Amino acid sequence: MLPLSLAEPRVPQSIAKITGKDEVRRHLSELGLVVGEEVTVISSLAGNLILQVKDSRIALDRELANRIMVRG
Amino acid sequence: MEVKIALAGNPNSGKTTMFNDLTGSNQRVGNWPGVTVEKKEGRLKGAKDIIIQDLPGIYSLSPYTLEEVVAREYLVNEKPDAIINIVDGTNIERNLYLTTQLIELGIPTVVAVNMIDIVRKNGDKIDLKKLGDALGCEVMATSALKGEGSQAVAQRAAELARENREFVAPSVFNGSVEHAIAHIEESIEGKVDRRFLRWYAIKVFERDEKVLEQLKLDGALMQHLEEHIADCEKEMDDDAESIITNQRYAYIARIVASAVKKKQTGLKMSVSDKIDHIVTNRILALPIFVVVMALVYWISMGPLGTFLTDWTNDVLVSEWAVEGARGWLEGAGVAGWLVGLVCDGIIAGVGAVIGFVPQMLLLFLMLSILEDVGYMARIAFIMDRIFRKFGLSGKSFIPMLIGSGCGVPAVMASRTIENERDRRMTIMTTCFIPCGAKLPIIGMIAGAFFNDGWWVATSAYFVGVIAIIVSGIILKKLKAFAGEAAPFVMELPPYHAPAASNVLRATWERGWSFIKRAGTVILLSSILIWFLQAFGVTENGFGMVEDNNDSLLAAVGSAVAFIFIPLGFGTWQATVGVVGGLVAKENLVTIMAICYGVAEASENGEEIWGVLQSSYAPIAGYSFMVFNLLCAPCFAAMGAIKREMNSPKWTLAAIGYMCGFAYCVSLMIYQLGGLITGDVGFGVWTVVALAVLVGMIYLLVRKNRYGEYGERLDAKKKAAVNV
Repeated sequence: MLPLSLAEPRVPQSIAKITGKDEVRRHLSELGLVVGEEVTVISSLAGNLILQVKDSRIALDRELANRIMVRG
Repeated sequence: MEVKIALAGNPNSGKTTMFNDLTGSNQRVGNWPGVTVEKKEGRLKGAKDIIIQDLPGIYSLSPYTLEEVVAREYLVNEKPDAIINIVDGTNIERNLYLTTQLIELGIPTVVAVNMIDIVRKNGDKIDLKKLGDALGCEVMATSALKGEGSQAVAQRAAELARENREFVAPSVFNGSVEHAIAHIEESIEGKVDRRFLRWYAIKVFERDEKVLEQLKLDGALMQHLEEHIADCEKEMDDDAESIITNQRYAYIARIVASAVKKKQTGLKMSVSDKIDHIVTNRILALPIFVVVMALVYWISMGPLGTFLTDWTNDVLVSEWAVEGARGWLEGAGVAGWLVGLVCDGIIAGVGAVIGFVPQMLLLFLMLSILEDVGYMARIAFIMDRIFRKFGLSGKSFIPMLIGSGCGVPAVMASRTIENERDRRMTIMTTCFIPCGAKLPIIGMIAGAFFNDGWWVATSAYFVGVIAIIVSGIILKKLKAFAGEAAPFVMELPPYHAPAASNVLRATWERGWSFIKRAGTVILLSSILIWFLQAFGVTENGFGMVEDNNDSLLAAVGSAVAFIFIPLGFGTWQATVGVVGGLVAKENLVTIMAICYGVAEASENGEEIWGVLQSSYAPIAGYSFMVFNLLCAPCFAAMGAIKREMNSPKWTLAAIGYMCGFAYCVSLMIYQLGGLITGDVGFGVWTVVALAVLVGMIYLLVRKNRYGEYGERLDAKKKAAVNV
């Protein structure tokens, strides 16, 4: 397992675990970021990421990206 | 029969476009009771008995953001007759997550698969019939932008509402969860509206705090249900809420697999991704942003904007309105004082504001285009890593951009910030950015004292930006604002060509909030100020005065002018100017000119530059400018702050903070700056200014004592040592 911030860009990754406060996890899940879902890092700006989740693009900051663990 | 249809959908699903398409200009904009979430309602074009209620854009019906709470309470308590659920056809899987929750409400629902034109263009196929069967509701295709299908959807929703059939939601969850839900349904039957039974049962399963609070289930029953929930959790090795979420997505994945045929699967670089690759590039992001913004300001404030403003001020207001009215009134033999009131008070006062409208509308037009195209969301993303350093989120940047035009829509734009602390802090600091109406003040000071130096205006923006940074750092260390800025997550909509109707509507809504005040606050205060400066007590008793120094305004100004002596401008004229600035910042120059006996001054007060030079030192002039840039904004913006803060305490705190901060900064500029330039001698106030400086530096560099939740960190440390 490794945090999404370290995952290789443009390679689909499977989410293994999301840590952190319930509130934030809930919001991420509404946007489609749930365990088992496939996510791809589209681009990275100083650790802040743009992700592809299902058919949408989600931007999130480095701290959040560190909380999403992928299988790698 | 009147039918009420609610419009629900994800942000960026094209909901606003569809609402505009359905209702045209039959719209009413207001606020949801008690909160500052915008409420839009309208009547269907060509069918006056069908009311369309626009709900805020939401991702789910959980009660954790203001928008979700508002939408959920409306759906459950107000019970609309039907729901139109707008689903982005190009992102159907994520959008259906909300749909699965909406259909549980048992309200007749029509799902509008929107952006069908793009779906077709991508070569994808959506089987509407299959989708409808799986969801247990009607599914239709639309393209709101092209005006395709919206009307049909609304008509169908109205039909369903009139039929008043009962809707049965499909079984979305697996056996054991459905079993537990059925059990809960049995137990709470009779306590809730029959229609909403399933929805309530699922919420109880999720242990939704608001629903549990509302139902007030007795202890024994709750314990019994809790066992069922716990069994499920054990079986699935997850918490109840995650179980529900995951099974919703699993169900959606199954539906989509059978009903949606994608031409291209897997990862592909869309045009949007390619643009983002350049626009959010590590090296290019900021330069591109600077160029875009420079272009926006050049168009709105540059030659075109200036031309429009000059024309409005000089021709439309001065020549046509003021002189036209004067000629007409004098011709009709109206009393002199009344002519003065109407022409010099009301029309000139309100006209001064109208003069800004063209520039303002141009700026808002540019910003609305950036928003509609999708670049605004990227700006928030790019600025986030910078803003985070001083405790604000990237989303705070958009209000500040708008604030360079007018503070009223800027304060209103802070609504998009979900986190309450961040939103309050943004409201408190966004008015530090010089708005369009503050430019004449800057022009007057630059002209009177600094030979029209370009650096004066530039420094004004720097002062604003530094004020925001300093305030961010200082406020973040107070208990009320403690903790990290809320994590940044935001959906980036795909780039698309701007839609004229959306852009114009957004421009107008922002511009209107600026124009509206011209007819209300400014109209009244123009009358009041004109009266105060035209009347006074002389040896002949109370009446109209020739000399401004005899006016009531002078008397009031003189009485409170002492407050500003330490700042270098303790004269009644400057004091009245500051007060006039509270009415409308662009009024300040005109009012000061009136105080110095110049009836009609140009925008930057050229006529009084001479008297200003002889009355104040340049450093006092600069201190005066900074004070007016930073202190409480105009009444209209204060009104906006009051509405958005939605609390008297926070409104006072915000305005008090701005005034206090402005006073401290101006004090330092005049006392310490004056000491350097030799305009001010060393005295008590020098010491005070030095103390303020030291205090401010201390507030900036002191350690943060509060943790993420506002708890004291040193207390925690002590506890840790004790253990």
